[in-house]
Amino acid sequence: MKPFELHEPKTVKEACGLLQKFGAKGRALAGGTDLLVLLKQRRLDLSHVVNLKRIRGLDRLTFNRKKGLTVGSLVTWTELLEFEPVREFYPLLYNAAETLGSEQIRNVATLAGNICHASPAANGPIPLLLYGAQCETKSAKGDRALPIEKIFRGVQKSALRRDEILTMIQIPLPPPRMKDRFIKYSMRKAMDLGAVNIGVLVATKDGRFGDTRIALGAVAPKPFRAKRAERVLTGKSVSEERIWQAAETAARECSPITDVRASKEYRLEMVKQLTFRAIKDCAVVAL
Amino acid sequence: MKKNIRIKVNDEWLDIEVEHRRTLLQVIREDLNLLGTKKMCDMGECGSCTVLMDGRAVNSCLILAVDADGKSIETIEGVAREGVLHPIQEEFVAKGAIQCGFCTPGMILTTKAFLSSHPAPSDQEIRKAISGNFCRCTGYERIVDAIGSAATRLQDKKE
Repeated sequence: MKPFELHEPKTVKEACGLLQKFGAKGRALAGGTDLLVLLKQRRLDLSHVVNLKRIRGLDRLTFNRKKGLTVGSLVTWTELLEFEPVREFYPLLYNAAETLGSEQIRNVATLAGNICHASPAANGPIPLLLYGAQCETKSAKGDRALPIEKIFRGVQKSALRRDEILTMIQIPLPPPRMKDRFIKYSMRKAMDLGAVNIGVLVATKDGRFGDTRIALGAVAPKPFRAKRAERVLTGKSVSEERIWQAAETAARECSPITDVRASKEYRLEMVKQLTFRAIKDCAVVAL
Repeated sequence: MKKNIRIKVNDEWLDIEVEHRRTLLQVIREDLNLLGTKKMCDMGECGSCTVLMDGRAVNSCLILAVDADGKSIETIEGVAREGVLHPIQEEFVAKGAIQCGFCTPGMILTTKAFLSSHPAPSDQEIRKAISGNFCRCTGYERIVDAIGSAATRLQDKKE
């Protein structure tokens, strides 16, 4: 890596001031599993790294039934896996955590970092989009509360300004009795990015779909909710035909590329097939 | 730009001066001359640089040395005690789980951390646990076998 100066602020305010000062030549460091790779590959040219890990309170991980799950930006994936409320109330987040990287990566990498790096194939966005998470950011210019959809702008482009730090992710409790499925469809069983990522959160009652949520990743420049597909189902009676219609609609909302993992045609087909299966599984379990 | 850090390596506290950009892997191999920890992909994919930091397996190539300040690091050199191999090491040898040996230090450290929190793992759990450690030689079967028998031995030791 090229030489850089590491700064270790003790407060968020101090960190924001530093980031503001350094502009494009500085970046925040949390776990480092993305940042250090970028630096080693010289895909980033930085003179300053602002280490967030000495700031107290950013590693906060708490849960209560009113506010839901509060995840500070230094919370690691392993900490999420070991926090009982995640397993109990946020199974999609649990699935995203257990299919990410390796033990070595999960012990160090953070959920916040996963979001800020904004890879369209990242695991983190899928559960956050489905649970309707909110992101709290701080900067020298003020604080913001951004819904998770607003965070992703494009491939490795987030809505965070240079001097802004994501400090906390708030994940509300999902409504009761919703069924969920998380599918990270990757070529390898571990240590791989999904070629197609699908998450669904489905409510059914008396043979009808209620609140139905579909999140897709790795099939567009941003991870997103397939809102048109959701509308095909919400309030309508459960049938395989309708689920298939929703799956096809979801595929039409995608704009995948061909890359080393899969061709765009394959991705489109897999979005259809896997969305169908995921929703069907949830609907069958619920009926 | 340099910083003085204090790290515990294999039970010994050390005071060293490190450049900000140096990784823990570089410091372990180049400053401390502990060559058991290997540098291969240098980007957190292969696990050959695995060490334990405060008991957790990490890819030392992705840890800045300054972030190890105040922490306890265990490398492969610290696993055997006064020349006596750890049961995990013995089982790796007994089961033929070592060919070229390059992945072995990382495998053993990952295993050590894993077994301390999962004393009676299933085959599936073992395979998942080592999914961050690549082996090009063995095809993993004997490694999984060795870890399973090491688990049994460590359980027996406790009883």
